[in-house]
Amino acid sequence: MIGWLIRRGLQAVLTFAAAIVILFFLMRVTPGDPLMRMTEDRQISVAEMARLKHRFGLDQPLALQFITFTSAAIRGDLGVSIYRYPDRVLDLIVARLPASLLLGGTVLLLNFTIGVWLGVLQAARRGQFIDRWLTRLSLSGYAMPSFWLALVLVYFLSTRWRLLPSAQMTDPLLDPSAPFAVRTFDLLRHLLMPAFTLAIVTIAATMQYQRTAMLEVLRLDFVLAARARGLTESQVRWRHAWRNALFPVLTLFGLWLPILVSGSVFVERIFNWPGLGSLAWEAINGRDYPLLLGTSMIVTLLVILGGVCTDLGYWLLDPRVRRP
Amino acid sequence: MRGSLKRVFATAWHTPSGQVGAVTLLLIALVAVTITPFLPDPRIMPDLSGGAAPPSFAHPFGTDAFSRDILSRVVHGARVSLSIAALAVALSISLGAAVGTTAGYFGGWVDAVLMRSVDAAMAIPRLFILLLLVLVWERIPPAALVAVIGATGWFATSRLVRGEVLRLRELDYIRAAKALGAGSPGIIFRHVLPNTLGPLIVAATLGVGEVILLEAGLSFLGLGIAPPTPTWGGMVHDSESLMATAPWTGLFPGAAIVITVLAVNLWGEAMRAAVDPRTA
Amino acid sequence: MLVFGTSAYLHAQRPPSRGTIVIVVPGEARLPIPTLARVRAEQDLSDLMFLRLARLGPTFTTAGDQGFLPELARSWSRRDSLTLVFELDPRAEWQDSTPVTSHDVVFTLTRARDPVLDPAHALLLQYVDRVTAEGDHRVVVHFSRAYAEQFYDATYHVQPLPAHIVSRIPRDSLATSNFVKQPIGSGPYRWVRREPGRSIELAANPRFFLGRPHIGRILILIARDPEAQLNLALEGTVDAIESVSPYGNIPRIAERPEFKIHPVRTFAVGYLLFNQHAYGDTTKPHPILSDVRVRRAILAALDRTAIVKSALGAYGEVAEGPIPRMSWIRDSTAKPTPPNASAAKALLTAVGWTDHDGDGVLDRDGVPLTLRLILPSVSPYRVAIGLLIQEQLRPIGIKVDLIQLDGPVWADRRGRREFDMDLSQGNLDPTPSGLVQSWTCAGQTGSNVGGFCDSRVDSLVAKARFARADPLPLWRQVIRTINDDVPAVFLYTLTNAMALHRRYTNVSIRPESWWGNLWQWSIDPAQAIARDRALTP
Repeated sequence: MIGWLIRRGLQAVLTFAAAIVILFFLMRVTPGDPLMRMTEDRQISVAEMARLKHRFGLDQPLALQFITFTSAAIRGDLGVSIYRYPDRVLDLIVARLPASLLLGGTVLLLNFTIGVWLGVLQAARRGQFIDRWLTRLSLSGYAMPSFWLALVLVYFLSTRWRLLPSAQMTDPLLDPSAPFAVRTFDLLRHLLMPAFTLAIVTIAATMQYQRTAMLEVLRLDFVLAARARGLTESQVRWRHAWRNALFPVLTLFGLWLPILVSGSVFVERIFNWPGLGSLAWEAINGRDYPLLLGTSMIVTLLVILGGVCTDLGYWLLDPRVRRP
Repeated sequence: MRGSLKRVFATAWHTPSGQVGAVTLLLIALVAVTITPFLPDPRIMPDLSGGAAPPSFAHPFGTDAFSRDILSRVVHGARVSLSIAALAVALSISLGAAVGTTAGYFGGWVDAVLMRSVDAAMAIPRLFILLLLVLVWERIPPAALVAVIGATGWFATSRLVRGEVLRLRELDYIRAAKALGAGSPGIIFRHVLPNTLGPLIVAATLGVGEVILLEAGLSFLGLGIAPPTPTWGGMVHDSESLMATAPWTGLFPGAAIVITVLAVNLWGEAMRAAVDPRTA
Repeated sequence: MLVFGTSAYLHAQRPPSRGTIVIVVPGEARLPIPTLARVRAEQDLSDLMFLRLARLGPTFTTAGDQGFLPELARSWSRRDSLTLVFELDPRAEWQDSTPVTSHDVVFTLTRARDPVLDPAHALLLQYVDRVTAEGDHRVVVHFSRAYAEQFYDATYHVQPLPAHIVSRIPRDSLATSNFVKQPIGSGPYRWVRREPGRSIELAANPRFFLGRPHIGRILILIARDPEAQLNLALEGTVDAIESVSPYGNIPRIAERPEFKIHPVRTFAVGYLLFNQHAYGDTTKPHPILSDVRVRRAILAALDRTAIVKSALGAYGEVAEGPIPRMSWIRDSTAKPTPPNASAAKALLTAVGWTDHDGDGVLDRDGVPLTLRLILPSVSPYRVAIGLLIQEQLRPIGIKVDLIQLDGPVWADRRGRREFDMDLSQGNLDPTPSGLVQSWTCAGQTGSNVGGFCDSRVDSLVAKARFARADPLPLWRQVIRTINDDVPAVFLYTLTNAMALHRRYTNVSIRPESWWGNLWQWSIDPAQAIARDRALTP
């Protein structure tokens, strides 16, 4: 266990380090002085520029620059935002993280419950009407640009039918001292549309994986044995087959995360959701290179951690993996 | 190898979803080519005070805030989106094939370095790499957009190709070719690459869908092709403030994206099933 | 004792403040106090919490001493052409119950004149020589030269600050002091709290000496996006949108029975500014636009009536020049020139621009006629105007690259002169002296980012400012001269559309300070909604 954890952890650290190298060189390889690009839109005095240059070590050779950059990053120093000068990039990111985790977590939950359930259903009705149409519907969702779906949902659910609030995370007029239940209900109302937008565009993968995995499990001996024991089809499905078909879906976790964070750039911007996605959008809009770089690094870290969690879950649930 | 590709196409064609996808794609291409000359210039603003008009006989998709014909803009947008997607995917598939064969064929430290880098690059969400690159330009020229999208899309392909190469490398006829003294490039081009063609075509097809969405997303963020050239994502962006009063300004370009991407994906999935029947 | 008794009696007579107004504004107000306030939301808040010595009257005439109404000063007189005397209202007091005295006024004006501390105000107050107190309630302002707008300069630019608090703050750290976090003013509303990035709450000042405000609570919400603002109103969260975007959104709010659109005439002028210098380099002239014939060609090519009608509808009028239609120096006989595409084409041909390669874009010596137009992306109608300009210049062979930028980025880009053309909007002061900042050589270090510099304009402006006789003809000559040089295509003057819930009655909106009369508004009890019921202590 410990050995496996250390190996997997080291691998993740190496991947992240390599990703930082890539991000660093993305910034350097592109034409122009990075600080020029960082400062060309903000009026910064010559003295300030020199100070910044020194701070980022731009007078040093490239290799040394890289070391300075990474050692600062490891210490949690992601630099200073240009757009919101002099706020620190890390502070801005930390302030936005909870909203993003809430939205992302909800989407994953929706994906996992609804997606798995529909996938099992499809496997059970393989080739039938409902299977075919669920596939088509989920693929349509997969083909939708999240921003367009968000706008269409807002048009119908907020503008036309006035069922849900069109933006923000909470009702701005809600008294912060209101009872917990009231505040939670308010939050849920605001969470519903952005979470469903992202769930609809990502659920196809879950359903397809679950369906395939379930089909494979349903062919296995122990399922046949369970049937032979006279269990009803739904007992077989939900007590025996489903649990074993769950592992492959876990691997999806790593696949979801990048789609989720990318989608959240659009969805958070449209719904004014104060998370990392809208922070990235503000960074783009403000041509704020350090902030965008910092956000990219954190998002990458999240994706890598997601991968580790997946493997860990796999490792805990499936004894076969434990063999070296 | 040609034969196996033909078989893949045929199998895919004989599934309902493959047929729907392929027919839709052909229709889109046909429409885009045939009716374009009959449509008004998508940039012209004929009646400045008219504003957005709902769909009518003269303008089947209605007009946008500047009285520009939305049908014409959607059709012209199709050319932009599809050509960018096709070129970018061609680029990324070539890059992926090149890196994948190199890694798989040579193995050892070349393989280790390349594949570790690919792992790391895949951990960074593609949109963010794109954003970091695209922001360098004030208004990105189309060629640069193609290059940037293409250069960020090859990671998964390279893995796939490498896997195929590793598998094929151990096959008898490759060993035989090696034993007979064929050089590495010769083996790669004559024997290895043609065998990976099936999975590559599947990856390319599904990649086109992904790139259409990406390009639309960049345009939606105001980072894509500059106006007045119509793009689907840009049209959805322009419709944002008009959705409540003139929903057709956003519905049609968005629907164009959904239908195209869906058709591409249906065809791609059908081909995938034909290449690898286990997942059907 | 007697004074106290009277005011207690008065307060007993007035009904308590009740009801709420929730206003949505596009940006955060970080520094909502006099001398520091810059953006609209900051000015709004500053105007709600602080009074001026006197305010502009209904004609907005900034020349002379007569067009003003009393606020902190109950009366004023003139000792000579260089000396003004203000008598403060003895009832005026700060919200911490300290009386407002002449020392506060002296302190504030002296502070604002410090060129190191506050260069912008020091420039505006450059002819104020000295400010002195005579007793607790009399302020004497001495000017260094005689000119028509002395009174305006002494009263409009700076609202008095409480000296007993601000003088204890280190001089250069007012912006980071507790006073900015918890301002104490002399006006009808007092500070309650701020939720950073989300909202600011104010409450009625029950001891306001001009009368207790009727509306008890003001909640100011921040939502940058026009669409988000509109949705907040449609959902019933907000009662007022300060500015409804004229582009698409006005009909949507107007169709709702609970809202009413109040047109507010403004001092805003929008124009397509030409950079006289090379892109980002003020040492060289602009290779294309420094030629007045090219500028005139662009003016002739643009159909301003169509642009304004399409983008602003009923809420904009074609600008007649660099001043708004509200200005008292407006010459209503001056008419904008009609568009003339063939004249535009001829002018460009005369300068050597022709389409040699037949690609639809004019060129000269192999260089295509391409111009970069920057504009702020947050304002939908300005984006629309940018597209319309691009489209109208295309047929005559000028290619316009639209560069939409986020507000602060756009402002900095202007400051660095990195544009060929800019879609500017000047929210001018009511005074024609504001022309100095944008269109004279001296303004080049400041807001004259186009770098337009014409000695004729400069000398005319100086003459008009210090004219002994009626300055009006001189000001009109300034306008004609500027128009003739085409430093910009003056596109529109703006009428602001403010959306207000119908339950507010007695509504009056002042163009120079939109919320300045809010304390006199009230709420129709029959239409009151849930959030109006709470009493404000």
